[in-house]
Amino acid sequence: MIAAEALGVDSPVRGAAPLLRSVDLAARAGEVLALIGPNGAGKSTLLRALSGELRPSRGRVLLRGRPLAGWPPPALARARAVMEQQVSLAFPLPAREVVALGRLPWRGTPGMALDRAAVGEAMERAGVAALAARTYATLSGGERQRVQFARALAQLHGAAEGALLLMDEPTASLDPRHRGLLLRAARGLARDGLAVILVLHDLNEAAFVADRVGILAEGRLVASGPAAAVLRREVLREVYGIAFRPVEGGLLPDLAG
Amino acid sequence: MDGGVRPAAGGAAAPAPAPGPDRTAGAPPSATRVLALGGLLLAAAMLAGLLLGPAAVTARGLLATLLDAAGLAPLPAEHARDAAVLGVIRAPRVLLAAMLGAGLAAAGTVMQGLFRNPLADPALLGISAGAALAAVAAIVFGHGLFGGLFGPQAGALGLWLLPVAAFAGGLAITFALSRLGTRAGVTSVPLLLLSGVALNALCGALTGLLIFMADERQARDITFWTLGSLAGARWPQVPVALALVLLPALLLLPLARPLNALVLGESGAFHLGVDVERLKRVAVVLSAVTVAAGVAAAGLVGFVGLVVPHLVRLAFGADNRLVLPGSMLLGASLLVLADLAARWLAAPAELPVGVVTALLGAPFFLWLLRRRAGLA
Amino acid sequence: MTGQRPHGIGRRGLPAAAAAWTALPWPPLPWPPLPWATRPARAAAGRVVCIGAALTECVFALGEGPHLVARDSSSRFPAAALALPDIGYMRALPPEGIASLSPDLVILSEEAGPAEAVAVLRATGLPMRTLPDGAGPGAAEAKLRGVGAALGRDAEPVARQVAADWAMLDAPLAGLRARPRVLFVLSLARGAPLVSGEGTHADAAIAAAGGVNPVRGWRGYRPLSAESAATLAPDVILMMDFALQEAGGAAAVFATPALAVTPAARAGRVVALDGGLMLGFGPRAAHGRRALAALLHPDAALPPLPERPWTAA
Repeated sequence: MIAAEALGVDSPVRGAAPLLRSVDLAARAGEVLALIGPNGAGKSTLLRALSGELRPSRGRVLLRGRPLAGWPPPALARARAVMEQQVSLAFPLPAREVVALGRLPWRGTPGMALDRAAVGEAMERAGVAALAARTYATLSGGERQRVQFARALAQLHGAAEGALLLMDEPTASLDPRHRGLLLRAARGLARDGLAVILVLHDLNEAAFVADRVGILAEGRLVASGPAAAVLRREVLREVYGIAFRPVEGGLLPDLAG
Repeated sequence: MDGGVRPAAGGAAAPAPAPGPDRTAGAPPSATRVLALGGLLLAAAMLAGLLLGPAAVTARGLLATLLDAAGLAPLPAEHARDAAVLGVIRAPRVLLAAMLGAGLAAAGTVMQGLFRNPLADPALLGISAGAALAAVAAIVFGHGLFGGLFGPQAGALGLWLLPVAAFAGGLAITFALSRLGTRAGVTSVPLLLLSGVALNALCGALTGLLIFMADERQARDITFWTLGSLAGARWPQVPVALALVLLPALLLLPLARPLNALVLGESGAFHLGVDVERLKRVAVVLSAVTVAAGVAAAGLVGFVGLVVPHLVRLAFGADNRLVLPGSMLLGASLLVLADLAARWLAAPAELPVGVVTALLGAPFFLWLLRRRAGLA
Repeated sequence: MTGQRPHGIGRRGLPAAAAAWTALPWPPLPWPPLPWATRPARAAAGRVVCIGAALTECVFALGEGPHLVARDSSSRFPAAALALPDIGYMRALPPEGIASLSPDLVILSEEAGPAEAVAVLRATGLPMRTLPDGAGPGAAEAKLRGVGAALGRDAEPVARQVAADWAMLDAPLAGLRARPRVLFVLSLARGAPLVSGEGTHADAAIAAAGGVNPVRGWRGYRPLSAESAATLAPDVILMMDFALQEAGGAAAVFATPALAVTPAARAGRVVALDGGLMLGFGPRAAHGRRALAALLHPDAALPPLPERPWTAA
């Protein structure tokens, strides 16, 4: 499980407001936590701090009870995977190779034996098996996102209980069918014992996938709790500054497939 | 690690999407095949470099030379020339060319991977320019300075003045780079790149100043040195190149996997457990040593570091586990062949090898670009 | 710096791995018991590669021209030299190119380089003779004697004739009152004239022909700024004939800002001479001296010098 304690991150711009202020947050194994909030609320910053990529200015992050700073990079990579927004590659690699990169931290460990199976299963699970030989650069934005998802899955294949998957707007470029696919996969991963934290903009998706929802605004965690308790009109109105109403006459995809 | 997460088969599996056109069909080439192919090419190139050239060597001459070198039979006088051409002129030259080609290509591959830019090459950071500046200084001031210090010994020691100066110049630039490109313990790749551009310009300007101060003969020496040549290759340089050109290049090989991760970007590589800071430091220092020592040995030999990695990528894909060793083998082969051409094409005169590599490399590169748009 | 250096230069203090290699019996090789060539040598007395224009002239002057198998790109006199294979610029020697000619002797100006390539050639065990490339009185005779010694040929008759020709000019030139200030311009590249400082062959040639090189305080050929040119105040601009042609003639020379303000420009005095004749200080040294003196002192009565075999192309 992962826990952020009094997490604060200052802006690199001198004199600017902090990006995160005193955020306390936890996600248990088996749980999906969705982070929502307006643009610039600090969601991606929080994710970067949780991944260990960004050293917090104040507070700390504990993964399995151990501060992130104390994790050797490869061990950390075997315990948490990150799916970033819009990854483009510097060189043309086939999709299969991109997914296989997820196995890099397992080199020299017994988990290496699972490499082939991990890559295959991850590609199946993310629905990109048919893209295996395609060059990543020739893929559409949504296809790339699914390949990155498969890469993250491969990375956590064989990980110990309580591994962490962080995803930054994983459904952003996906069509409705693949949104459902990815969110159901995320739920499945939680069932298998992972802690999943994802940043979403679609409240419908958040309600579908998350056990708990955290709302960020101006660098603070302003609400957190079960989806039904947090995703209420008055809370959302307060955070986003617009009114929310039930859909009439529109269609929402059935994310449950 | 018990209690592993095993995705339930079919748990959330979707029907596979309709198979799209497979644009890069075919299994990825196996590393063994690529290395065997490259090794074969290098062996053939080195053999050609050793056996061919304007001074024709007979098979008998080769045999006599080998027997003599192995201490099995004394060298018959009629094969003295063959032995000298093979053992004194060509052998150290071919070995140096191979090591230098491997080193430049490895450094080029690593720079391109590190900067995530297919146009990066070892000259980009100003390491060659720093080495060149020091070499030019050695040409302009060296004679007086060195002759004064060492008197009659200067002849023998003087042969080492220019390479030692060039190597030191390259390392000095590397040191400056690592200071300039690092802020709060974090090496910033864009900062490194821009510092390199600035150092390049500075070294270029100082070199220009030295050329201005040089007399006519020194200026012509500088011109020829700048064009690159292996005409001065001698045995004593071989172990030095082994340690300072080939060894650092070989030490770059383990960086292939972390460099692969770097295609995802620095954060992506970090997420995969790569110690990105260490990777950047090690890559820059090892590349710098190999390039500085290479420039010290043979002057400025362009295009190998830029083009060779691309050729290998086009043939075998962008996996650095193939590209890095493949580039080393291809770079070594190409420089050996370019040097053969340099010795032979204008015989009995000799072309600067840097001219040959650019003359062959540039049009070929352009042809490739036309044929296969999409190097990145 | 005449004569051969011992073999194995540069092997001192060499790392162990290389020491093991060089301990193998390649250099020095058994030289010169037999000619190297796997093909028959062209002449019984051997095959000679000569690097350095004046030295090549010496070889021809001593009647050994037929033994030459190659020259460097600067060796362009006599005409027979031009027919020989060219090993290129003497500061960029090709070790294998030279070895490929199977020479029995390489005559090398001490100006040849780079030092690394010379070291490679030495390591092959090739018989090499490095000769100084001097200038001024006596320089031609020294070169002739050096080449003669290298070829095993008596150079005294030729050397004495050259010395006698040279001496014929001493008295008439010593008697001249006018000593024009002569600025030698090697080239006009990029508007900055490249002029001869002290220690150059041009400096020696000007002095020998009864002129004064106004450039003092630095050595070699260097670019000249417009202001320095004005302070040097040359009466005559001296160039090599092809360089004057390349520059575009006298008008172009004096259009150069650096030279436009000189007394030479006002008088329109630019003179040009063949570079090998004027600056080589080979067998044609005396004739070159006379030709230059005639240009610098058009009114002086200089004795004609006898035609010599080595002055004819």
